[in-house]
Amino acid sequence: MSSNHYFKHEGPWSDAGDPLMCTDTGDWRTRRPVVDKDKCIFCGFCAIYCPIQVVEMKGDTHFEADLDFCKGCGICAKECPKGAITMISEGEFV
Amino acid sequence: MAEKKQGRLTKVLDYLKHDDPFSKGVAFCPGCGLELLLRFIPRVLGNDIVITGTPSCSAPVLLGQNNQSWHTLSYFGTLMTGAAANATGLVRYYRKAGIDNTVVCFNGDGTANDIGFGNLSGAAERNEPFIYICYDNEGYMNTGIQKSGTTPYGATTTTTPYGSVHKGKNLRRMNLGLKMAMNKIPYTATATLSDLDDLAKKLLKAKEAKERGFCFLHVFAPCPTGWGADPADTIEICRRAVKTNYFPLWEAENGRIRMTKTVKKPKSVGTYTELMKKFNHMTEDDIKILQDDVDYEYCLLGGLSVLEAECQLPVSVKDQGETS
Ligand SMILES: Cc1ncc(C[n+]2csc(CCOP(=O)(O)OP(=O)(O)O)c2C)c(N)n1
Ligand code: SF4
Ligand code: SF4
Ligand code: SF4
Repeated sequence: MSSNHYFKHEGPWSDAGDPLMCTDTGDWRTRRPVVDKDKCIFCGFCAIYCPIQVVEMKGDTHFEADLDFCKGCGICAKECPKGAITMISEGEFV
Repeated sequence: MAEKKQGRLTKVLDYLKHDDPFSKGVAFCPGCGLELLLRFIPRVLGNDIVITGTPSCSAPVLLGQNNQSWHTLSYFGTLMTGAAANATGLVRYYRKAGIDNTVVCFNGDGTANDIGFGNLSGAAERNEPFIYICYDNEGYMNTGIQKSGTTPYGATTTTTPYGSVHKGKNLRRMNLGLKMAMNKIPYTATATLSDLDDLAKKLLKAKEAKERGFCFLHVFAPCPTGWGADPADTIEICRRAVKTNYFPLWEAENGRIRMTKTVKKPKSVGTYTELMKKFNHMTEDDIKILQDDVDYEYCLLGGLSVLEAECQLPVSVKDQGETS
């Protein structure tokens, strides 16, 4: 990934070359988006509207959220024009 | 089969030409409009932009914590009172050093419309060549949801609560976009997250127009936590804000206003307010006051766009060049 271009000379505290901070946001989730691959028409609306941009293209057939970071907000399910995404309680998966 | 499927892909993806410079797990609330906007900007404009901004919900992420960072962009944190003044310093330094880049001054409405308005206004007058983006979540969210100048009539915040005396904010909201357009800067626009292709186009236009001077984008970005909304409704709130003319989409080159989206049959503002708890208490009469305000501002906008097409803009303003 491209690194800090302009402030490199400022000092070690401003060098973002080190691994980025990352919070386990997948752990916040109470519901997870589950995609019905048959209903998915591969339009990508779920991907563009996901605030954390973790809905990924799977080949050329469907889209799927990265559950390590998905916060479970439900925007993808709401915006899917085909209703292909269902939010299911995390309790179902333990 | 595969090809047919490809054809349906939303064209917004074509604008996302660059990597997302942010870490995947970043501490914004679920459904936060600001997070989508912040990830969208460098994916459209490129990762070599320099961002500068003030304490706000965006700052903990943009600034980093301890000695680590949440992203790989260059960021310069400033005080709320001096955001645009600091951006001025940055662009002038880069120009003197012969570095050709894009400086984005990125702030909440509290900074842009209230606390940091003086120097924003000054930068607009001097026509400084950078892009100022205000994400409007209609309040001071980071400090606990206080009202700002752009909080709409009737909305409850922690400083305009609902009780026996007060029923939410009893003042009208200020129109930040319009007052910036009136400065006849090279480019002003409003945008929101339901219309991402419109937002992308405006970002790219601003990048181009900043060669001629100051650019201002006013982006409506819902805050589900502060507004009492379902996080899943963030995009729908933006859509309804546009469909009710609560937040009309327009752009202005050198102050000449042009609608970028016209709504044929605007819905009543009640279809927008019903999505948020901050408007829950409002009676029909209260909604009527808000509706009148929305209608008035939209009428004004329409009138200005017609009038300005008829008026001849002075050449000196049209060709406003580099700053001294
Ligand atoms: C001059 C000054 N006054 C007050 C504060 C305290 N403060 C820190 S963040 C913040 C809220 C900023 O609101 P806004 O710019 O709208 O961004 P948001 O939090 O909504 O993202 C305030 C008031 C400050 N840092 N500086
Ligand atoms: S639920 Fe929210 S965070 Fe998770 S993939 Fe869908 S839009 Fe993204
Ligand atoms: S929005 Fe729905 S139909 Fe479109 S790609 Fe996503 S899951 Fe598939
Ligand atoms: S308080 Fe609002 S603006 Fe701030 S991170 Fe949460 S949702 Fe976003």
